[in-house]
Amino acid sequence: MAESDVSIRRLYKRFGNLVAVDHVDLEVPSGAFVTFLGPSGCGKTTTLRMIGGFEHPDSGQILIKGEEMGNRPPHRRDTSMVFQNYALFPHMSVADNIGFGLRERKVPKSEIRERVQRMLELVELTGRGDRKPRQLSGGQQQRVALARSLVIEPTVLLLDEPLGALDLQLRKQMQIELKRIQQQVGITFIYVTHDQEEALTMSDRIVVMNDGRVEQEGDAEEIFENPRTRFVAEFMGAENVLDADVADRDGSSARLRIGTRELTLPKALPDGARTAAVVVRPEKVRMDVPDGWRGTVTDRVYKGATMSYLIRLDDGTIVNADVAHDDPAHRHDVGDEMMIAFRPEDIVVIPDTKGA
Amino acid sequence: MATTTTAQAATPARQARNFPTAQVISLGLPTLVVLLFFVLPIVLIGIYSFYSINPETGLMQQDFTWANYERALTSPIYRNIFWRTLGIAALATGIALLLAYPIGYFIGAVVQPKYQGPLLLLVLIPFWTSYIIRTYAWIGILQSNGFLDSVLGWVPGLPTELLYSRAAVIIGFVHVFLPIMILPIYASARNLDKRYIEAAYDLGASPVKAFLRVVLPLTMPGVVAGIVLFFIPTFGSFVTPQFLGGTGEQMVGNIISEQFKEAFNWPFGAALSIIMTLVVVVAVTLFFRFADVEEIYGS
Repeated sequence: MAESDVSIRRLYKRFGNLVAVDHVDLEVPSGAFVTFLGPSGCGKTTTLRMIGGFEHPDSGQILIKGEEMGNRPPHRRDTSMVFQNYALFPHMSVADNIGFGLRERKVPKSEIRERVQRMLELVELTGRGDRKPRQLSGGQQQRVALARSLVIEPTVLLLDEPLGALDLQLRKQMQIELKRIQQQVGITFIYVTHDQEEALTMSDRIVVMNDGRVEQEGDAEEIFENPRTRFVAEFMGAENVLDADVADRDGSSARLRIGTRELTLPKALPDGARTAAVVVRPEKVRMDVPDGWRGTVTDRVYKGATMSYLIRLDDGTIVNADVAHDDPAHRHDVGDEMMIAFRPEDIVVIPDTKGA
Repeated sequence: MATTTTAQAATPARQARNFPTAQVISLGLPTLVVLLFFVLPIVLIGIYSFYSINPETGLMQQDFTWANYERALTSPIYRNIFWRTLGIAALATGIALLLAYPIGYFIGAVVQPKYQGPLLLLVLIPFWTSYIIRTYAWIGILQSNGFLDSVLGWVPGLPTELLYSRAAVIIGFVHVFLPIMILPIYASARNLDKRYIEAAYDLGASPVKAFLRVVLPLTMPGVVAGIVLFFIPTFGSFVTPQFLGGTGEQMVGNIISEQFKEAFNWPFGAALSIIMTLVVVVAVTLFFRFADVEEIYGS
């Protein structure tokens, strides 16, 4: 792996009785776009704020470029934060906001003017330097906040749900914009969000967090295709997460009981696992097979390219199945009965080693 | 059912259009109060200021003369007193600001919200005691052999007998009017988004720089309001200089009260009052222009 810009070791933080960050270990490779993804309260923002120096860890270490940060305050760290609501100084012009960090660094005035100008170009706000932040739209304010942080050329840029206040359309636009800027400047970005789509769009690496711990870490495809925990699968938007019992196993295969039937998996499961979660993508559910789980169509939703069926199995489990909407072979009405099945190679099995 | 509801809703609305009782009360009452207790007294004082005193009977008579204004504005005695009043009020305001800002900021921006109420209460409790009693209390503290003298009198070079001095007047003002300066500063500090401070630190500002470049400008509306609220009653006060100051600390308020209560020259007292009011209005207007609060939050 490339050298790390940020190394996090056994990081731990508590607020009163609430453990916000529970012994997190993490390496952030240099120049990467890394996203901390998780629901609110999962510890992603607290971790980010500790990297920035706004909170101090109870134990554990944060190293930036190999240097231990300890309780060093934000103004003595080589990081910069883009805040959720931008925190642009309302009493300063856009140019003064962007130049703030340079003035603190005693950069000569002429150079400040030049670098602010270049930043305004980078974020496509040329000519808006004299405006006050409140005279700009949300998306423009967002870009000023980005420019204000980038101009001081930090080792790591921290972004705390920076697109949260924007509407959907603008958010999609800004996602692409952010990614472009990141690639252009080559600075390491650590991005915090609870929106899995946003994470998938922008990130080189995604760190899924829950309850103060890292659930899974990997690139977008890895996280999406191979969730390692049920939480990750559900959080990434998996529609079918079925409960399964491990009925039998040997060194190279296992038999899983799902509802009324069993399925043989051509791979070994870890020893402690007695139950598992089975993830099946809706388009991988095979309908109208001669032998399989019997189910009844309870709902049918037209989704443009596909028709989506909700099918209730005999044991009550609801399975979501998508088929091409113009496929006459699989056309059903609500109330129809049929058999469904899935291939062992189409499913992701998440063994639960903690359970029972 | 639906039609009934519409009909019921329409009736009071139509009545309101015919005679807008609510509007008349909500706008008329405040207007009446302002007219009765604010505009009318000033108009009366304005009228009196053009009256004269009959030199034979010593009684006030209806007249229209500029003589009172002429006397007030040309006599060096009164001009000096105006300048002195301005100086004392400005100095007291400056010293009060040095105390009020840290207190207001601490309560509004540093302390946890649950302690803000109780701390504000502590700031306001002195208001429950009469201004005059609080001023009297300072006599006991500042006079020779008073509290200060008996506790700290042994320290060489330390002034402990401050009564009837400029310092005593300033102390009295700062103590009496400090809370009304703290309140707007507290409100400004409480509304200050902490993220601005974090952003300043984040961009490399030291705590001192963050204060000067971000915190102070953003709490300026509170500071400006605090200065004005403190300055106005201080400028017009006569109780504090009368109780705590010597003859050299007479302020405009003192000579006005003298004209009304001792010299019985109401027209001249009225002219001085009008001049004082104008001075305060001009000073506050200039100050607002200079401080330019609009620039911070405007439009």
